[in-house]
Amino acid sequence: MRSWLPVLRDRRRYIAFELEAEDRVKRGDLIGEIRAAQTSLFGDLGSAENRLRMITFDGRFGLLRCTHSRTEECRALLATVNSVGGTRAAIRVRGISGSIKTATEKYIPQSILQPDENKRRVDLGPVSGSVVRVIGREIDLCPDDRKITEGSGTRYVGLTSFDLCGEDIDADGTSDGL
Amino acid sequence: MNFYECNLHALPDGSDSPSRMALAARRLGYSGIIVCNHMTTGRAFGIDAARLVGGIEVVIGFEIVATDQRNLHAKAASLRDKADFLAVHGGDEKINRAACEDPNVDLLAHPHEGRTGIGVAAAKAARDNQVAICLDLGPMIRLRGVARVRWMEVVRRDLDLIRKFDLNLMISTGARSHLDLRSPRDLVALACLFGLERDRAVEALALPKSILDLNRRRWTSVGVELF
Repeated sequence: MRSWLPVLRDRRRYIAFELEAEDRVKRGDLIGEIRAAQTSLFGDLGSAENRLRMITFDGRFGLLRCTHSRTEECRALLATVNSVGGTRAAIRVRGISGSIKTATEKYIPQSILQPDENKRRVDLGPVSGSVVRVIGREIDLCPDDRKITEGSGTRYVGLTSFDLCGEDIDADGTSDGL
Repeated sequence: MNFYECNLHALPDGSDSPSRMALAARRLGYSGIIVCNHMTTGRAFGIDAARLVGGIEVVIGFEIVATDQRNLHAKAASLRDKADFLAVHGGDEKINRAACEDPNVDLLAHPHEGRTGIGVAAAKAARDNQVAICLDLGPMIRLRGVARVRWMEVVRRDLDLIRKFDLNLMISTGARSHLDLRSPRDLVALACLFGLERDRAVEALALPKSILDLNRRRWTSVGVELF
């Protein structure tokens, strides 16, 4: 990039975010979805003022750059993303910082636990199906009866280990295993 | 601040169990959730499991689905003593008005689902009966294009009414899955796009807690409390 006069250089903020999705998401799809949400909410004129750029995205955590005065608007537009490339997803803003280094160090964890891949059956009376993935205490279940998720547009049923074994009293473990 | 998500739908209404909702909400920074399943779909699944989740309060409320005004008043009167929190499934003009006229009701949920919103008469009634109006931001997240523009027009008009009559306001997403939940700061940022003041939005997220505290005290009659 060409150098710019220091006094005219625009100030930036870096938004560290986490993507929660039902399936793997491609970086290109996510960028497209954020762009679509942005133009839908603010139009072309407002979008140009945000100057949003994707810096990194590793499948779960990522970094976005925006103008320093418009971080609240960026929060709002990231909140309106509800699906990416056809899979239900949500973007959680973990924190906002002034440089890539501090944003990465403060808000993006370096070691990530991989979700379980073993298929197990769950049968709880009204809900039954096979386990798709387990992250900490959270369990995604592929239901036998598809009708159960109809209203919400999701593919999986979200359960926790509390639902499976009611007598579990150790309730304060961090849910994402970080 | 004690932020509460006031209108959640858990299994079998939504696709997540109450405990999963509680875990997701705790991570997002809420101190409590109110699970308001529609009366037509029945009791939420795994409520006892949800109470085991530490660091977050799980409250079970009801969302009344009524066919007409008399039906609504009867259901609200019979459920008042059984639940800490009573919401009404709004959207229809007549139901919105009837809910605002019923002092047993705590919250009018998603009144902007239809084209009409609440209107002046219902707003006055809501002020007199202390019924809170829910700003349900679900459509803001879900809808795009013309549908969202229509919804925003209705909400903008109703927010003027809410300001004018100084009504109680709550902010929610009406989530049916953990992917529908948004953090309190995200909801404040979204609400600010409508011209709602930041302080007012923060107050709206903390209001469910104070309503719950009021409901849990034992009232023998209006203004008389039993210790």
